[in-house]
Amino acid sequence: MIARATFESSERTLYIPTLATLLRVETLTATEKLFELALPNGQALGHWPGQFVEVSLFGYGEAPISLCSAPEDGPTFQLCIRRVGTLTGALHRLEPGAFVGIRGPFGKGFPVEAMEGKDLLVVAGGIGLAPLRSLIRHILAHREKVNRFLILYGAKHPSELLFRPELEEWEAREDVEFHVTVDRPDEGWKGHVGVITTLFPKVDLDSERTVAAVVGPPVMYRFVLLELLAKGIPLNQIYFSLERRMKCGVGKCGHCQINGVYVCQDGPVFSFPALKVLWEAVEARAPVR
Amino acid sequence: MTPVVLEASAVAPFWEQLFQRYRVMGPKEKEPGFYVFDWLSGPGELVLDYVTTILPPKKAFFPPRDVLFRFEQGRNGTPPKVEPIFEQEPFLLVGVHPCDLAGIALLDWAFSQGHVDPHWWARREAATIIGVNCFPDEYCFCTSVGTCRPGGGYDLFLTPIEAGYFVEVGSEKGQRLLEAYAQRRPPEPNDFRDAERFWREKEERISRRLKTPAYALPLLLDASVESPVWERTAQRCYSCGSCTTVCPTCFCFDVVDELTLDLRKGERVRRWDSCQFLDFARVAGGQNFRGERVARTRHRWYRKFYYLMARYGRPFCTGCGRCARACTANIGLVEVLNELAEGGEP
Repeated sequence: MIARATFESSERTLYIPTLATLLRVETLTATEKLFELALPNGQALGHWPGQFVEVSLFGYGEAPISLCSAPEDGPTFQLCIRRVGTLTGALHRLEPGAFVGIRGPFGKGFPVEAMEGKDLLVVAGGIGLAPLRSLIRHILAHREKVNRFLILYGAKHPSELLFRPELEEWEAREDVEFHVTVDRPDEGWKGHVGVITTLFPKVDLDSERTVAAVVGPPVMYRFVLLELLAKGIPLNQIYFSLERRMKCGVGKCGHCQINGVYVCQDGPVFSFPALKVLWEAVEARAPVR
Repeated sequence: MTPVVLEASAVAPFWEQLFQRYRVMGPKEKEPGFYVFDWLSGPGELVLDYVTTILPPKKAFFPPRDVLFRFEQGRNGTPPKVEPIFEQEPFLLVGVHPCDLAGIALLDWAFSQGHVDPHWWARREAATIIGVNCFPDEYCFCTSVGTCRPGGGYDLFLTPIEAGYFVEVGSEKGQRLLEAYAQRRPPEPNDFRDAERFWREKEERISRRLKTPAYALPLLLDASVESPVWERTAQRCYSCGSCTTVCPTCFCFDVVDELTLDLRKGERVRRWDSCQFLDFARVAGGQNFRGERVARTRHRWYRKFYYLMARYGRPFCTGCGRCARACTANIGLVEVLNELAEGGEP
């Protein structure tokens, strides 16, 4: 009757953060900063693109944050954090040398093996670029893994674009097809204007051999999905990463549950067929706030 | 291991011995008719013929406020100090009913899936559990979910009989307890008959029943996603979280940092949380993935009888009836499932 576990001492650190050192802080926008962190003794985090860590400051609490650097970026790792609440506000006030609690990495990341030899289409909305950047940098480090590499990125306003020097780099590369759009332009904006779905007519896809990785606000998923389906991309070649409230990261606290799955364990990256059967997955029917 | 009989005259000395040697958590009367599991000062406080307790005994292993670690902020560039907290002092948990033994077994499973929860298991392994047979009321429905007779999970289990207690031994630990502290005798045929009668009469008293066999509940729920029953139930529900707070199989929690007044030291604690609360699934950006009450109401049944059941193979419900007893709107877990079984028409 009892599935009794053996209580190993290695499990004792389940909720105990490791103290990472903040090496560098870079202001990306008015609300987003990039944090580069190092674990003690040059230890690597050992993450996979699309995974997340639980980030904490003692006294402020803990929150799940996606890794935005690739495993190849070295023993250090990077987090792109938007200032939205108490903890992220405190993180934004930190200076290099500060200690930050880290647990993880947790979750299942992007299935790069399913992308190999295929055309990879990355669709990023707003801060959704942060988790996708871990995938993009991983692919760029092994560019031979995929055939065509397309990146569609949309932000509300030019001032909200993240990682601008990198965007220029991607734009300049011959082996990356990069398209960016903003909902509302400013005076200096010369690029495309419109929501992210307005970029789709600009790209010509070989549907059968395209794999899509999509991260953005919940409202974006439905409309991007319609575009992907219209392009004829097979359902099992469409991947979404989902945001949910999380308290533990290890499949216990219940907050991230979507129907029968725990986003922190079974996700945050899901294939569309896996999500299709979960009626709680993409729909957020309740009014925002 | 062979059962034994504790004669009526041997019962009090047995408890005396145990209370002298162990910390004991067990049921005691809080107010007339209301019982709670609590640390007991002596055998005089122990009540074994209670109906049910307000909170289930899961709190012995997963307290409502559970310190994960203590911390102290660093000064002048030194790192913060972290001191993990695990409670491992041996204790006895006594007076646990069969349904609550099942609840502990379900949480043993939940706290072992993927990652072993060290705080649950530290206390769990420090505990010796003495179960006791029960006196059901009209809310109990253990016969419908297969938890009426324990399938294990106890070190000793007591059933009242003419002679005193019929004691079943569930582990070496239980056997050692008997050998050290109990004056006992082998059971005679009469004792077996008495014990069996207790079980049977108890089961016959349980009147609340599910109309769906337990194994078919996931199928029932699979077909009931759009049932009007959910909207109707949600209209009565206050989202107060009473049902989940008293549930022996609920284990959702929140994690918060609590600071001392000088802000230098503090504790990271987990506290019981409820999927019925408005903010439970709300993310930092403001989206609330179960912002509608009906979605939260429905989630409770789906979690117990579909999602977790699909993974574990049996309902995540022990039939203890606490949720219905505690519900401020008089919503019955069994009644809702039975309404669904009847097609959801009012």
